[in-house]
Amino acid sequence: MANNRGDKNEKIRIVSKKFVVRTIIALSVVILLYIAALYRTNADPIRLVRGFGIIWDMVFTDLLPPDWSYFSTSFEYLVETWNIALLSTTFAAIVALPLTFLASNNINKNPHFYRFVRSLLNFLRTIPDIILAILVVAFIGMGSVSGIVALTIFTSGILAKMLSETTEGISQGPLDAVKASGGNKLQIIRYGVLPQILPYYASYTLYVLEMNVKASVVLGFIGAGGIGQLLNRNMKFFRYDRLSMILIVLFVTITLIDFVSNRVRGYLE
Amino acid sequence: MIEFKNLSLTYPNGLEALKNIDLKIEQGEFVVIVGLSGAGKSTFIRCINRMTDPTSGQLLVDDEDVTFLKDRQLRKLRTKVGMIFQDYNLVKRLSVLRNVMAGRLGHTGTLKSLLGIFPQKDLQLAMDNLERVGIRDKAYVRADQLSGGQQQRVSIARVVTQQPKVILADEPVASLDPPTSHKVMKDLRRISKEDNLTTIVNLHFIDMAMEYADRIIGMRNGEVVFDGPVSEVTEETFEQIYDRPIRVDDMRGDETDGE
Repeated sequence: MANNRGDKNEKIRIVSKKFVVRTIIALSVVILLYIAALYRTNADPIRLVRGFGIIWDMVFTDLLPPDWSYFSTSFEYLVETWNIALLSTTFAAIVALPLTFLASNNINKNPHFYRFVRSLLNFLRTIPDIILAILVVAFIGMGSVSGIVALTIFTSGILAKMLSETTEGISQGPLDAVKASGGNKLQIIRYGVLPQILPYYASYTLYVLEMNVKASVVLGFIGAGGIGQLLNRNMKFFRYDRLSMILIVLFVTITLIDFVSNRVRGYLE
Repeated sequence: MIEFKNLSLTYPNGLEALKNIDLKIEQGEFVVIVGLSGAGKSTFIRCINRMTDPTSGQLLVDDEDVTFLKDRQLRKLRTKVGMIFQDYNLVKRLSVLRNVMAGRLGHTGTLKSLLGIFPQKDLQLAMDNLERVGIRDKAYVRADQLSGGQQQRVSIARVVTQQPKVILADEPVASLDPPTSHKVMKDLRRISKEDNLTTIVNLHFIDMAMEYADRIIGMRNGEVVFDGPVSEVTEETFEQIYDRPIRVDDMRGDETDGE
């Protein structure tokens, strides 16, 4: 039958008609979302083009040249930011380790306790760090201690979560070997688990340090100490020349930390 | 001395892995358990150090009922009963010596072991045992740098450093080639005879069982279907245990194979 082979004159498409229809529907939905967003935010192209002039002025009259003499002050606050990041990362690394083992189902064999710890970690991560910091500042006041406490709470949750996933993926063999030779739970962790996760522990801790440096800059804006606080103050006084000095210091430092940390982590994993 | 008294084990899924096992193993015997995979060999061995728990009957190790031991008593049992695994179960990133020292954990206080402090005489013991399996020069090499045969020898050194009375070996040569298999089995037999250890090995290779065992226990479907000295074993015995004719792959081959 001719019908079975199809009409010879009919064009053969590379995709099915169904696919074309679905794609058109999906694209229309996305475009509609964009139009709605533009409409709701009163964004219009002309304003955007005019805005370029403002950006130009901002960069070449306000930000440039930077106030180079402000370097020492910026640096001083940068050191505070670094210290906040370093201390909170250290505390987080210490707190995260026992949490990790409680949140790994191959070590914590009590399913209810395991699920409780897991939910706790998930809950910790759902609170944005900035909200956490606002709460902590409300409790213990302005200053770097608040930053350290907020970041420790936030990142120990992240670290424990990442590390417990690694722990659940390690090979069971060495754990069985220690168990079969009469080792207790702590000895199993120390001689079966720890050697297997140590490189990841170091790597994740460095990653968290990177995160904490950036986060502690932001936290400075809400009074949790460090260079963010300085940034905020100079913005309020329209000292954009000083602002640009701070930004340069920040840019160089964060790039440097990320570079070093990435190199070391590449070596570790 | 190990004594099974009417021991049975039924897994939660209903599988009867051991059915009414009744037998005695004397101190210093070198016993090989043979049987097809799924016959219950592993379960048999893992009951003795309670890595799996029997569901009924009684199991005596050293005249002590170990069927229901818990926590501290259980760990004490496990320091007496060492184990060798098919995949060696070494920590690959640690040195050979550290892996061997893991065998001492049952004898070392928790705090000291967490800090990694071991008595000099234990380190000496570990080194001597590495010497006995011929790889003392590898003591500070990372475990993953060693060949399969060398890794299994590390695990023999680890288990002997534990100074057990019994060694359980669960398919210790299944991942090795024929010549290496023979070297490992020779080391294991020599050391267990030197130290008068009771050794129970799971194997599914007929020729290896015949070459190294004092006594052979045959298992099929969770039951002991043969138990006797190696001198009483013939090819028919294996056909009876396996419930089918002997095949080429039931043999490991001799020491020159695969070289």
